Amino acid sequence: MPGLNASLYLGLSGLQAQQAALNVVGHNIANVNTPGYTRQRAALSASQSQVEGQIYFGTGVTLSSVQGIRDRFLDLQIYRETAKQTGADERYAAVNAVASSLGDTGSTGIAAQIQAFFQGFQDLSTQPESAALRTSLLGKAQAMITGLQTKYQLLEDQRGNADQSIGALVGEVNTLTGQIAQLNQRISTETTSGADNDARDQRKTLTDKLAGLVGINVSESSKGEYQITLDSGSAVLVTGTSSFDMVAERSGTGGYLQLAADMGGTLVDATSAIKEGTLGAKLDLRDNILVGFQAQLDQLAAGLSSNVNLAHQTGLAADGTLSGQGFFLNADPSNANDSSNGLPVTISFSSATLQFGPGWTSRYKGMVNLLAVNAALVKNPSLIAAASAGGAAGDNSNALRMAAFQDDPAAVNMGGTPTGFNSAVAALITDLGTQSQNYKAQSTAQQNLVSALQSQRDSISGVNLDEEASNMMTLQRGYQASARFISVINQLTDQLVNQFGR
Amino acid sequence: MSFRTSTATQQRQNLQDLQATQERMALNNARITSGSRIGSPGEDPNGAALILDFGNSIQANTQYLKQVTSASSFLTSTEDAVNGAVQAVMRLQELAVSGSSASVPEVNAILQNLLGLANTQSQGKYIFSGTKTDTQPFGGPPAAPYTWQGNSEAINLGVSASTVVATNLTGDDVFQGVNYLAPAGVSANLFTVATDLASALQSGIGADVQTASKGLDAVLNNLNDMLAKLGGRQAGLLSLQTSLGNFNASLQSLQSAQEATDYPTAITEYSNDQTIQSATLSVMAKANKVNLFDYLA
Repeated sequence: MPGLNASLYLGLSGLQAQQAALNVVGHNIANVNTPGYTRQRAALSASQSQVEGQIYFGTGVTLSSVQGIRDRFLDLQIYRETAKQTGADERYAAVNAVASSLGDTGSTGIAAQIQAFFQGFQDLSTQPESAALRTSLLGKAQAMITGLQTKYQLLEDQRGNADQSIGALVGEVNTLTGQIAQLNQRISTETTSGADNDARDQRKTLTDKLAGLVGINVSESSKGEYQITLDSGSAVLVTGTSSFDMVAERSGTGGYLQLAADMGGTLVDATSAIKEGTLGAKLDLRDNILVGFQAQLDQLAAGLSSNVNLAHQTGLAADGTLSGQGFFLNADPSNANDSSNGLPVTISFSSATLQFGPGWTSRYKGMVNLLAVNAALVKNPSLIAAASAGGAAGDNSNALRMAAFQDDPAAVNMGGTPTGFNSAVAALITDLGTQSQNYKAQSTAQQNLVSALQSQRDSISGVNLDEEASNMMTLQRGYQASARFISVINQLTDQLVNQFGR
Repeated sequence: MSFRTSTATQQRQNLQDLQATQERMALNNARITSGSRIGSPGEDPNGAALILDFGNSIQANTQYLKQVTSASSFLTSTEDAVNGAVQAVMRLQELAVSGSSASVPEVNAILQNLLGLANTQSQGKYIFSGTKTDTQPFGGPPAAPYTWQGNSEAINLGVSASTVVATNLTGDDVFQGVNYLAPAGVSANLFTVATDLASALQSGIGADVQTASKGLDAVLNNLNDMLAKLGGRQAGLLSLQTSLGNFNASLQSLQSAQEATDYPTAITEYSNDQTIQSATLSVMAKANKVNLFDYLA
């Protein structure tokens, strides 16, 4: 049978354990608003019993560990989905920002301006003799070019913005991966597995942040270290206790930032290896999405200049001389009216299919920026070739021919498909709208998913103040009872030492 | 078993719902105040493309209406000139019937008038000289008299995507009757016939006056053919004008059906969201008050 001293120690173990557990409750309450905090629980267990003869006597309670209540796999899933969410958010924001200007369906929109330009030819056909109508046509052409270029520039600016933020984001990513590697170090050297709860919480918060920036795959090693790779799997960011930096370098002057992962001195290209997260979305916007819209504008410009130029150079100016020059010209005077100037003046069209000359696909890129009204025509509007028969000031047949391109169902080469101007603009707007709608839907769906996962994580790991209050009451009662027990044993001891034998 | 809810979850959920409600309210607010259902193509890509398509058609039709008006105005000038010529030729016929040499000065005056009509200008161009609109169609003395100087080209205007209409008649056709099948020995050339009449009256030879009178009949028939041609074109333009106008009206109503805000729906949704918003806010405020710690002594 245990002695009175043993009973005193038993009571003491109760006091200490309840107080330690209260301390954990206090820590939980203190961290109720700490982002990423995982609630902790004091694991109490009965101490080893003492055997006397055939009887086992308990020796009190010990605090075996303080555990963080977490679901590791849920964390890994959240990282993956967070990256997708920020990626969709970012894409939606950028596409939506250009959508209302680029997709203008009103009188300042691309479609209306192209139509106004061709209507300038129709107006001219009513009075080819009129200098005023010639000047007005030039004005409409200029307005159309300015409209196209403004929209092109808007996309260019968005790409520039994306590029600038890429530089800053890479810095953040490197800081985060460095910190995560340090925390890996702390976790791998913890005394018992899962003991360093707060380091794990910090690492989770940092990894959440990292996942918002770049799409990542995270796995946990047996020692508890995070191994982090890019979502495409092409580069490692953190392994064990070391991290690898991303390097951003400009390709040539005025070029865009190219990313590489520095794998211990060897650079692995990562520019197109990041799919999701803010960084992945910015790269996608800069290199694919916005470029796609620019290409559609270029195709429109190519359709305009090639058709009108071809018809124009075979027409006759007001004085009856063969024009021989295009209506539009490359803005660069050193290439003026040269068939290799970027404008496909030599491309021949047959009625059914478009036949494009060699190098077309590479030459139309950036055409919107090169497009300008032929300066010779601006200087002398009578050079506009409205006629196709000599010595007839009222001949409007070439103006009619050029005006008819407006309804030509094969005037534009939209990525290989012959399309009319109106359909091409409608395709651009539908494309823009659909992408914006898709990214929005994706972003909402991802947000719902992430917030459901977070609720699930919170349901497991989050602090509930009512729960802590009730734990606190229980522990307080336990502490009071243990103290009472000690006081009883104390009275027994007093009885034995001071009162016994009187 | 009950689902554990952390204190933060509830707050986050409330906040997220509140933001979603506010976003919807902002969208409906913009729809109501702008009157436009689609602020950005992303809200309805197909709708935006349709609006664009209707807008394109309306713009094109409006332009075609302008072209029709312009074509019609050229045709009207031509019609006026031809009508004037008909009146003059009828007067010439009366003079031929009277057969008096005293009428010669009047015949010559009418001839000058006819030349003026043939050289009519509208909006700064000669309407009877084909596409050589800057050239007087018929030369007068001292140049070789009544020489045809224009060409026989038609001036076409596009009045719909597939239709062109000729806005002119050429002088050789109208005044020289080059396409008119006159009886043998009879000229349908107005200027020749009128000149012949003047000299026949002057000389008093009845047979010559007779021939000139037959010529005047042929000329008159030719001019009437021309008027019929013009009338046909005008009637075609008029019906085109009506149908373009009607087409535009229905396109505009289709476009506004796509584009205009559905006010009853938007306002209902807006006030519904307002209710949700105030309910959410009041729940958030109340839920925050209740906590076990409040009841611990």
